[in-house]
Amino acid sequence: MKNIVVIGGGPSGLEASANLHKMGYNVILVEKSPALGGHLAKWDRLFPQGIPAKDVLEGMISNINGVKYFLNANVQSINALGKSYNVILDNGITVLADAVLFATGFDLFKAEKKEEYGYGIYERVITNADLENWFRTKEDSRVANNPKRIGFVHCVGSRDEKAGNRYCSKVCCATAVKQACEIKQEFPDAEVFCFYMDLRMFGRGYEDLYLSAQKEYGVRFIRGRVSEVAENINKELVVKAEDTLSGKPIKVTLDLLVLMAGMQNCSAGAKVAGQIGVAGMETDGFFETKDTIYSLQQSNKPGVFFAGACTGPKTLPDSLHEARAAALAIHNYLQEGEKR
Amino acid sequence: MRERIAGGYDDFVIPFMVGMAFIFIYLFIALIRLFTHIPPKDRIKFFKSLVNPKILYKDCRDILLDCLLHVKIFKRNLLLGYMHASIAFGWFMLIVVGHIEMWLYVPQRNGLLYYPVFFRYFVKQEGDLTIKGAFFFFLMDFFLLMVLSGVGLAMYKRFRSTALGMRRTTKPCFADRVALACLWSIFPLRLLAESFTAGIAGGSFLTKPMYWLFNNFLSNDAHILPTWWAYSTALGLFFLALPFSRYMHIPTEAFLILLRNAGLKVTKPRKGFAEAEIYSCSSCGICIDACPMNIQKKNLPFSSVYFIRFLRRHNTRKINQISDKCLMCGKCVALCPVGIESCGIKRAQRATLYNDIKHDYTYLHQAHHTPDSPAHPLPGTQAATGTSAATGTLSASVQADAKLSGRGTASEKVLYFAGCMTHLTPSVIKNLTGIFESSGTEYVFADKDGGVCCGRPLILAGREDAAKEVIARNTELIRNSGCKKVVLSCPICLKVLKEEYNLKGIELVHHTQFINTLLEQGKIKVSPTAGSMVYHNPCELGRGCGIYKEPLNVLQQLGELKKAAKEGKESICCGGSLGSLTLNYEDRGKITQGSLAALTINDPQKIITACPLCLKTFADKADRPVMDIAQIVNENICQK
Amino acid sequence: MGKFGFALSPSSRINLDEVDKVKFAKLVEIEPDVLKCMACGSCTASCTAGKFVKTSMRSAILALQNGKNEDAINFLKGCLLCGKCTMVCPRAINTRHLIISILKVYQ
Repeated sequence: MKNIVVIGGGPSGLEASANLHKMGYNVILVEKSPALGGHLAKWDRLFPQGIPAKDVLEGMISNINGVKYFLNANVQSINALGKSYNVILDNGITVLADAVLFATGFDLFKAEKKEEYGYGIYERVITNADLENWFRTKEDSRVANNPKRIGFVHCVGSRDEKAGNRYCSKVCCATAVKQACEIKQEFPDAEVFCFYMDLRMFGRGYEDLYLSAQKEYGVRFIRGRVSEVAENINKELVVKAEDTLSGKPIKVTLDLLVLMAGMQNCSAGAKVAGQIGVAGMETDGFFETKDTIYSLQQSNKPGVFFAGACTGPKTLPDSLHEARAAALAIHNYLQEGEKR
Repeated sequence: MRERIAGGYDDFVIPFMVGMAFIFIYLFIALIRLFTHIPPKDRIKFFKSLVNPKILYKDCRDILLDCLLHVKIFKRNLLLGYMHASIAFGWFMLIVVGHIEMWLYVPQRNGLLYYPVFFRYFVKQEGDLTIKGAFFFFLMDFFLLMVLSGVGLAMYKRFRSTALGMRRTTKPCFADRVALACLWSIFPLRLLAESFTAGIAGGSFLTKPMYWLFNNFLSNDAHILPTWWAYSTALGLFFLALPFSRYMHIPTEAFLILLRNAGLKVTKPRKGFAEAEIYSCSSCGICIDACPMNIQKKNLPFSSVYFIRFLRRHNTRKINQISDKCLMCGKCVALCPVGIESCGIKRAQRATLYNDIKHDYTYLHQAHHTPDSPAHPLPGTQAATGTSAATGTLSASVQADAKLSGRGTASEKVLYFAGCMTHLTPSVIKNLTGIFESSGTEYVFADKDGGVCCGRPLILAGREDAAKEVIARNTELIRNSGCKKVVLSCPICLKVLKEEYNLKGIELVHHTQFINTLLEQGKIKVSPTAGSMVYHNPCELGRGCGIYKEPLNVLQQLGELKKAAKEGKESICCGGSLGSLTLNYEDRGKITQGSLAALTINDPQKIITACPLCLKTFADKADRPVMDIAQIVNENICQK
Repeated sequence: MGKFGFALSPSSRINLDEVDKVKFAKLVEIEPDVLKCMACGSCTASCTAGKFVKTSMRSAILALQNGKNEDAINFLKGCLLCGKCTMVCPRAINTRHLIISILKVYQ
């Protein structure tokens, strides 16, 4: 039986594993954290309809019945051995894999790197991930005080040369609009502002989400990137931006500021891939696919495949499509190998 | 010793004399021209300096140490220093001792320019050598050997510059090559000429053995005249090439020292004082390795040495290109053995391009340091102690905002001037105000809601007239505050406040200095719990304001201070400098990475700096935490 | 044409036919970063001078593209060159040089 190592137990890793397992391959899934699910496990609800992330994840996990998976496990070393890859995990397990799938996903941009926004410096600045965590647990002293005015800053660490990330992270606009609506549900009296550069509501149902944010939740959209944030004596945040549509600088005092941290290629995943000569692109750090249209699941190395956000920011449905496509690509690759 | 050649003349002195006449005339005209270009006020300053014993003493000292002994280069690299010093000092002593010999033995020839140069040809040793004679022979041979060793090293350096501490050297131009060839041949030729003549004129430990050596297989007498001709020709050619080559620095450098010690400054990029600087450049190329831009090979032609070369050639396009690109980090100036203020020249050059750009700063008059508040004092609300209200020209609301106790009058408080950039690094403000509070320092936050730029960025861009307006307004605002001490977070502001503002009676300190004083006075106490760190000297704080000790003194009390590859005045610019006008982000990024590599060579846990611009620039690219000195101090303050 | 209707002059409409393309090309040659702006407004928001008088790199670039050269100058003449806009620009535009170049080319 052919061995396939899937690195990363997030949505793409889970979905690919489940499919490969069904095809009859011996799948070994490696996850570095103590639980499956990746970022999805930390999210509360999903855009555009607000489906609970938990439900989606539970479905995925129930699908991987029979797949061997290791939690708290890292790939210690990986090297090519003929047509196979010798994968050694730090829990002592060694696998000779006929194919390796990188489903390593993304790291959230470290918002403290944009010091002018004051994350980690001011008390009431949080990130999109912090807010999701609060939605799930209602535990975060930074949010508790019944905020009257709340701001969302789009593109934190995305579309930003200084952050080293020139690209758009694709999902933050929809996430911000979703979170703006959700926080308005929590605090109906609060005023909510979204500071955006361009609103990229590209998917089915996303524009409706935008519309309802305006119509039903009264979210105020300001076209301008926040340039600096100060804190006053009451720990309120003084936010400066330009309302580019009126061409005037604006200043607003907020009780809570949410930074929409963008996506970066997972650094742990990139480290592993580097060992077999699979590298991030110089332009954006995400893995280089064989081409940019037709072979998105293939790498430049035979037997090494990609699925999900490790080749660029993706929505959850995008990642799931890729996971299934990757399963098929791996299947075809192994079949061809058999014929030869 | 007796004169051998009647008339004290031979035709071979002609090439030397032609060269000498040329260079004297050239220098005389150049000197007159230079003086006409110096502003009259400066001219008077210069002549006055020549009768001031204090300055005269400094002149002599500087000329001896810098021009002859090259002490500055010695400090950098012993071998390189010896190379420069042996040629300069050895040659100088040959001239001096030569004249003494002439004055002692053939006083009737005093005044003949060529005589001491070709002394050995014209004289004949009679009878036994006296002790005096032997002594001078020894001296002359000794200094000749000294020069020759320097020339030998110089030749070696052409092939292997790294051995002399230089990674890269200057590419010589044509005149440089001619002069260099002459210079390299002058002293070997002199040795040969004197050796062949040593049978007649006598010699010492170098020339005598050479004479006997050659005598074995050459007829020495037949070689006497040709070698003296060759020696004279090499000298003459050298003088002819001198004004067009790098060796023009030999006569100019001493003169530059006089001008500099008289207190003159660059006013125009090409004339007057600047011209003296330009011709004082010896093209040694130390600035090439110094320049942070040269982390990329493509930037080599933008080094200061080439900037000066293009100035000499009046190549305006290149001059502008280089002066616009320069980071103005001042490292080349700090390391220049001649002390050429190339950044000053570049600023003057920028002024020729940008000073006439129109601006409109009339709005500055509505600017207050706390514009949210009325200009007149208001009774303030009390924050901490609940005692009576604060008064002062600055807003009471801000004082309350900053949790001031309000006990002191303005003159007892410090004025905190964060600066534009610091508003983008809230960690600096938050931690420094934290330190103010821990130490019980009463302060007024001058630009809490943003202030007026200090003017330094305008000066750096050559817009001096515009800067003057800004400076005038800011001076007014600072004076009106009534505070007697200003604490600044941005070294860029500090430099301009110190140099261009008229703030007599007001103490200006950077927050590193302020923190250092607090520690010395025991007003705050820190624990050594910060781990290992390296300190980055910001250009404007270190080379700009000469503040090196205080930050190190503070950091030593916090944890293990690791060494960087380049420290102190050799610290490498972070790449974010406001000095450069045209460097793009990618090229700046390369500089940042180079600077970070030099900082992290000993793998410190943290990188500490003291400039908001450095902090932000490094933070984008660093692989470990970068923080301001205020932050690391505040985080390690122990409870009293 | 023009004799009838509501041809009020001067028109408040931006006329892209009248944009000085030669000058703009010259500017692009001196500082190609002028083409990189995505109009996020960070520069305007953090502008030191902008607090007192309308000063806006973003608006100036837009004005130049729309042929409103005079407006561009007005948006920049109060600039103090402090460099904050360079620091906050997400496209890493060399704003200080761009400002100097615009003022130099269009004045």
